[in-house]
Amino acid sequence: MSILAIDTATQVSSVAVADENRLLAELTMQARLTHSETLMPHIQQVLRMASMPKEQLDGIAVSIGPGSFTGLRIGLAAAKAMAYALDLPIVGISTLKALACHYPVSGVRIVCMLDAQKGNAYVESYRWEAGRLVTLQPVRVMNIVEAVESCGRAAEPVVLLGDAVQKKVRGKIELPQGVTVAPPHLLMPRAACTAMLGVAELAAGHRDPVMSMEPVYIRRSEAEVLWEKRHPEAVRKERPAEEM
Amino acid sequence: MEKNEKEILTLAVESSCDETSAAVLKGGRTVLSNIISTQIPVHQKFGGVVPEIASRKHIVNILPVVDEAVRQAGIRLQDIDQVAVTYGPGLVGALLVGVSAAKALAFSLDVPLIGVNHLEGHIFANFLSAPDLEPPFMALVVSGGHTALVDVRGYNHFHMMGQTRDDAAGEAFDKIARVMGLPYPGGPRIDALAARGNAMAIDFPQALTEKGNYEFSFSGLKSAVLNYINSEKMKGHALNQPDIAASFQRSVIEVLVGKAFQAVQETGRSTLVLAGGVAANSGLEQRLREAAEKRGVRFCYPDRILCTDNAAMIGCRGFYQSLAGGFSDLYLNAVPGLSLTDRNE
Repeated sequence: MSILAIDTATQVSSVAVADENRLLAELTMQARLTHSETLMPHIQQVLRMASMPKEQLDGIAVSIGPGSFTGLRIGLAAAKAMAYALDLPIVGISTLKALACHYPVSGVRIVCMLDAQKGNAYVESYRWEAGRLVTLQPVRVMNIVEAVESCGRAAEPVVLLGDAVQKKVRGKIELPQGVTVAPPHLLMPRAACTAMLGVAELAAGHRDPVMSMEPVYIRRSEAEVLWEKRHPEAVRKERPAEEM
Repeated sequence: MEKNEKEILTLAVESSCDETSAAVLKGGRTVLSNIISTQIPVHQKFGGVVPEIASRKHIVNILPVVDEAVRQAGIRLQDIDQVAVTYGPGLVGALLVGVSAAKALAFSLDVPLIGVNHLEGHIFANFLSAPDLEPPFMALVVSGGHTALVDVRGYNHFHMMGQTRDDAAGEAFDKIARVMGLPYPGGPRIDALAARGNAMAIDFPQALTEKGNYEFSFSGLKSAVLNYINSEKMKGHALNQPDIAASFQRSVIEVLVGKAFQAVQETGRSTLVLAGGVAANSGLEQRLREAAEKRGVRFCYPDRILCTDNAAMIGCRGFYQSLAGGFSDLYLNAVPGLSLTDRNE
């Protein structure tokens, strides 16, 4: 099973072609170019590099979030349109989980932090146990400084990954003992990991509905949050049981 | 392309603001389908379009709309010969959904891509409503963010007579509607109020009315109306909303009509077309029609559905652009501030 994988959740643009056993080609760039311009040319190039005509693909995996709202939509719009036009199954892969695949070793707590703006990050932590990725702390929005501090209380060594670490932690916040930042080549998302998780999901028969798929935003739009603050009665009526 | 141009199937995608739309055209003028998913109810409670929410709706709606357009056209997706897409002007996040999807569709189907200027699309909506319309003609473009007079000399030959310097007419409509407490979208509400008001009740200013000046400015008018409303409120007077709407609308319409027919006269064009979202304004349409009749000028404006943001007009523009080789590559990006400019291809 050969698949195309796409990750545009951060400022990294990454596309890869892989099957169950091999990464055939990957094109990963962090050169401050806009995803909207470069994504399709990159897809064209990576397929050519892998000698993989698009008609021979068996599926598409796309980094589904959390991450930059606009970045996620550029990747997803392209992935969905390709899956639709080429009649391919598609699966969305957690951007955080794909990052955790950069450290497939046990005995380490992997804390993935993706920029959520205003000093916050989407944070999820993992540990590899007997070759399986176990989620220790499901995703939540946290203040970056507090998130890093809390890593100091972990029992095992901690490694930090993600664009929030690149932008707001590395060289800017003093790290607690036992906490390290991943080196540059492992710090940011890479479509190779999206591809390996995706190929496993697709091979297991998992599919997302191409017509209605949307990014995992975690956060609602500012306008909705503000509106609800101003209209508390309407909120109680609309969403009685849900927490904010 | 070896295919007869009348047989070319164009798939068009439009997502510049709060409508997600896809259409299939056969040749330049036959609309096989034109699917529009509007978000107006979603944005209503916010009093205007919220860009992030618009983008979130587009990413969910885009494929169902494309799929429905293909289905209603009675073709297979693989029959499509080219893909046209709006790349500006508009909300950047909203545009990017359509542009990204259209590029991936063109790549997957191995067909050419055509990036279309939304405002040119509005002008071309007239070709769909009036099958016998041919250039040359004068086009008055009045939409949310733009007001312009364009001398359409050929399908790919446009000359800008003049455009808005500051606020477009549509912006003034929206702002004034908001201050009067009218729900979004404000334009149609003002139009409806104006119909039962006295247009001569208040004298609002008109800018740049000297002969031969084809530029537009509505910020002075907007301020004058807002000042009038505020001072009436301060005096404790009840606002006569129909009169304010009618007087404001008269001021806008007189400027638009005056400049449009001056341009028609100067260029000797025998046809005037109205284009853009504000083309749905019945007061404007009526005054232009009356003025055109008096002068023996043919007047065209698009059917209501083609005045809103729709992909059929993008497909029409894309088709004629493709005849002049106006294709885009896969690097096409959204250009939110794209404007109308001279073109001669």
